[in-house]
Amino acid sequence: MNRVFWAFLLLKSTLYGQYSTLEKDSDSIATQNLEEVVISATRTERQLSSLPLPVTLISKDQIRNTGRIRLDEILQEQTGIITVADESGFEGVQMQGIGSEYIMILIDGVPLIGRSSGNFDISRLTVGNIKQIEVVKGPSSSLYGSEALGGVINIITEKPKKEKISGNTSYRLGSYTQQDVNLSLKQKIKGFGYTLFANRFSSEGYDLNPNIEGQTVDPFENYTVNGQLHYDFSDKLSVFSSSRFYYQAIDSELFSDGLKYKSNDEEIDWNTHLRFNHKWNENLHTEYEFYFTNYNTSQKLVNEPTGNVLSESDFDQGLARLEIRTNYKFKNGGQLTSGAGYQYEYVDRTSFDQEVDFSSQYIYIQYDTNLIQNLNAIGGVRFDNHSEYSNQLSPKLALRYEVTDNLAAKASFGYGFKAPDFRQLYLDFTNSAVGYTVLGYNVAVEKLNELVQQGQILDVVISEDELQNPLEAENSIGYNVGLTYKSKKWNTEINFFRNDFKNLIDTRIIARKNNGQNVFSYQNFDEVFTTGLELNIQYKPINRFQINAGYQLLYTYDKQKLDMIDQGQIFAREPQTNTTIAIERSDYLGLVNRSRHNANIKFFYDIKSANTNINLRLLYRSKYGLFDTNGNGIIDDYDLPDSFVNAFVTANIAATKNFCKNFDLQIGANNLFDFTDGNIPTQPGIQLFARLNYKF
Amino acid sequence: MKKLSILFFTLTILFISCSDDDDNGPNPDPVQSKQASNIFAPQSGGQGTGQEVSGDFTKFDFKTGIVTTSDTEWDIAFRGTTIAVNGGTVTGTTDEPTRNGDAASAIATGTFANITNAEGLTFKQDANASFAIPTGSDNGWYNYNFMTNVISPIPGKVLVFKTRDNRYAKVEILSYYKDAPTTPDPTSDEARYYTFSYVYNPNEGDKNLN
Repeated sequence: MNRVFWAFLLLKSTLYGQYSTLEKDSDSIATQNLEEVVISATRTERQLSSLPLPVTLISKDQIRNTGRIRLDEILQEQTGIITVADESGFEGVQMQGIGSEYIMILIDGVPLIGRSSGNFDISRLTVGNIKQIEVVKGPSSSLYGSEALGGVINIITEKPKKEKISGNTSYRLGSYTQQDVNLSLKQKIKGFGYTLFANRFSSEGYDLNPNIEGQTVDPFENYTVNGQLHYDFSDKLSVFSSSRFYYQAIDSELFSDGLKYKSNDEEIDWNTHLRFNHKWNENLHTEYEFYFTNYNTSQKLVNEPTGNVLSESDFDQGLARLEIRTNYKFKNGGQLTSGAGYQYEYVDRTSFDQEVDFSSQYIYIQYDTNLIQNLNAIGGVRFDNHSEYSNQLSPKLALRYEVTDNLAAKASFGYGFKAPDFRQLYLDFTNSAVGYTVLGYNVAVEKLNELVQQGQILDVVISEDELQNPLEAENSIGYNVGLTYKSKKWNTEINFFRNDFKNLIDTRIIARKNNGQNVFSYQNFDEVFTTGLELNIQYKPINRFQINAGYQLLYTYDKQKLDMIDQGQIFAREPQTNTTIAIERSDYLGLVNRSRHNANIKFFYDIKSANTNINLRLLYRSKYGLFDTNGNGIIDDYDLPDSFVNAFVTANIAATKNFCKNFDLQIGANNLFDFTDGNIPTQPGIQLFARLNYKF
Repeated sequence: MKKLSILFFTLTILFISCSDDDDNGPNPDPVQSKQASNIFAPQSGGQGTGQEVSGDFTKFDFKTGIVTTSDTEWDIAFRGTTIAVNGGTVTGTTDEPTRNGDAASAIATGTFANITNAEGLTFKQDANASFAIPTGSDNGWYNYNFMTNVISPIPGKVLVFKTRDNRYAKVEILSYYKDAPTTPDPTSDEARYYTFSYVYNPNEGDKNLN
């Protein structure tokens, strides 16, 4: 590391000397920040405040000043965005009560892959080279296709702007020996620009329960490297290319039946992205995009003294995409955006017979215009043709009406879908400890017949016909209606949302085994909804001081369970008397992992005279249920207290002082109240940290 | 109150003495409401051992209200989470008892108190490859929780039995763990101990369960 650092300093000083004469004061970024521009909502540059959709923008300043270093940390401080582990134990992001499997994660507009039971672990992503994070809530399949059911999170990386070489290097040390090292370089010389970014993050982990052998979070280290090139061939043609590489290793010890095992986990995620931008004329431009990404994990469990391999599992997934987008600006100000693409995906993993692949073609079109003065409308539709499931047509319509200069009303509706994933179609997994089997839908008949021939099956509980029709894509229709009020000191927004899900895929029993266990496969059946409201208030009484407050109210229910409750078909046992009673609607707490109330309040204060800024952020989550304990299949008031996480508050504080012009020293504490809960393994106790940053 | 019951008693006597020969005989025996505790139902194999489930079933007789080893005088029998009835045929697993009665079962949904009658229920007997009470989590009487590894009786599932000799009984399983702890801990509480409430109507063919 040291050597790299010196090499970099040397490089830096030579380049600096060479180009310092060419330096122009290009601090035009500052003016751009005033007009916050987002690209994810429409795939065109749009001013944030003018959009008819609910969008959250997280700026670089906010990321830097709060001292958060991974994507999950910064996102969970935003109103209505929660990171939580689902029943599988894997953590992901939740928005408007919609789980991680239905939220697409993009980097510079292209999707990231690599999910565990549908959950995307966003802590994989460092925020060290991020310009801004754009979060679009509500169905966005009209532009992004499968997975963008609940919304998209688009990470926009930093682009070079100045002729002078610029960048920063930082070192951060925190509790649990958390070490975060960043190096970033960028430069733009005439038509040529580049960025280089490297990050190393490591920690010794922590242990929330010393009574259980092994740590809650094991020591890990990971590396992220990203290089980008920009080149303008002419006024009309330019190219952008980016390659990103991520590697993580975790070595841990496991204990099973009194035996000690060493576990080696490796995770590799890399992508390469090439985009040409062709400006035909002032009004018409076309983008040609090629993208490939690969996600690879391996896990090996080895018995310590004997060297016997207990288990080995591998996962290898790839996605290639070719897309062409065209944007045309009409004289009246309207914009027509259209695109077409081809996508190829494959997965090869343990518990799959062989490598499987999907291919799909898609086309989309969107028109963005002012119907009358003060009324902006966006209409769009996308068509997806997929090799494994029925064609999908995803429309979207959004309207924004400016009532006065300060007040605007928004309304939107859209359709979103998620294709059945590889696991749901091709899995062949038998739990060795308990003995149950899970089969992917497409291989269920074949695999079940094999089990029958092996004499493992007691009886098959469904008819073969029930596995004939292909599994349908999960889908949802989302509605958002809101008001925004903006004045010099105030910026407030209220948004009501409702998402109606259909054809959710879940497991069901297809056969019983001789060992008393079941064979499961997947099926479309659940119908659920999430509804609520989100309120954001920003108050800036003076230039140096700002308060942000946010609140989300959320109701999520399974419609079939509600019907069953109405018919008196769901029961619970009163724990004291051990008598059975019928559940009422008021006893039903809704879907797992959903808090009724989420709130935050954040204070940001700039002490200009001391070149210092301080902030305090408080986050609140009300009680939520983790799993059913009384066997009735729902989370209710009669479930055991252990299966709930009680309401909690976390507080984060950070202070940054700028000195000697180019240096920043930051100190802070995350989880100031030292809150921990055995049911939230990803929440460590209080973490103190200090960071020194040098920018040039 | 006293007066009323005397009146009632008199009326009953009158009613009985006035009844003609077509009446169904004597005053019906009262329905019995009882609880059975810690009925141990061991099994061998199964649950990931890679071996077939085996071992003797623990047999229960509603008439006496106790566990029995009799080959004939039993109504229902337990092995692990599996419940057999003394009616129909063997399902084909190892060590099953021979069915020599006419017992059958149905699963009703409701609170224990609200299932007052066996009328209208569809009774099934054990048959080749299928127990009358389906085995497996969420199929029959229990739910297996993957998070806690606890087996809990599904609340609201009331097992209604026709006994081997055409009597009726309803059963609500309360616990699968020894001494029926309120919050079972699978690491310390012993499993395969049934505790259940039951109501047995000793009158032949009488479907009343209240």
